[in-house]
Amino acid sequence: MKNRLRVLRAERNWSQADLADRLEVSRQSVNAIETGKFDPSLPLAFKLARLFETTIEGIFSEES
Amino acid sequence: MFGCSTNNPAVRRYLWRFAWAMFFYVVCLIGSILAFVHLHPTGVVAYGLAVLPALPMIGMTVVVGLYLSEEKDEFQRNMTIQALLGGIGGTLSVVSVWGFLESFVHIRHLDLIQVYPMFWMFVFFSVVVVRLRYR
Repeated sequence: MKNRLRVLRAERNWSQADLADRLEVSRQSVNAIETGKFDPSLPLAFKLARLFETTIEGIFSEES
Repeated sequence: MFGCSTNNPAVRRYLWRFAWAMFFYVVCLIGSILAFVHLHPTGVVAYGLAVLPALPMIGMTVVVGLYLSEEKDEFQRNMTIQALLGGIGGTLSVVSVWGFLESFVHIRHLDLIQVYPMFWMFVFFSVVVVRLRYR
């Protein structure tokens, strides 16, 4: 899956560690999701969507 | 668990429990050896003393299970499961190959007591591979 995490994070001037703190996960988790190496579960995807005040589709999209 | 921060409460609990299990393993092993050397136990007592060092080893497996149930970070949980699967797969592969070699070409007998350390050795290698994969 593709995602816009890096962009959304940059818009808020958050580091990966900042986002990890907000999500209560490790920085490695944020990095793995951001680089597309790990797809988050639905609960974590919803948490991300709430945090960035958007929808899951606003963050993640299918790889074309 | 493997390579993640000790700020994580689940990892801290895991390390603490695992250290205790290791401590009890050493105590039980030394106790059993000394008992067999000096007291020459027989019957049920001998069986009990022989099994004693295996109990903390079973405890270590339970400790890993507790960690997996307590870890809230799904990515860390995923990495740990992959490393454990690597450990299980590696160990099963080696003992299967070894078993056939023992049966057909009569190589040295592999003591079952060596299987558990072998499992952790494969887990260790799997941790390295998994961490490189997600670097």
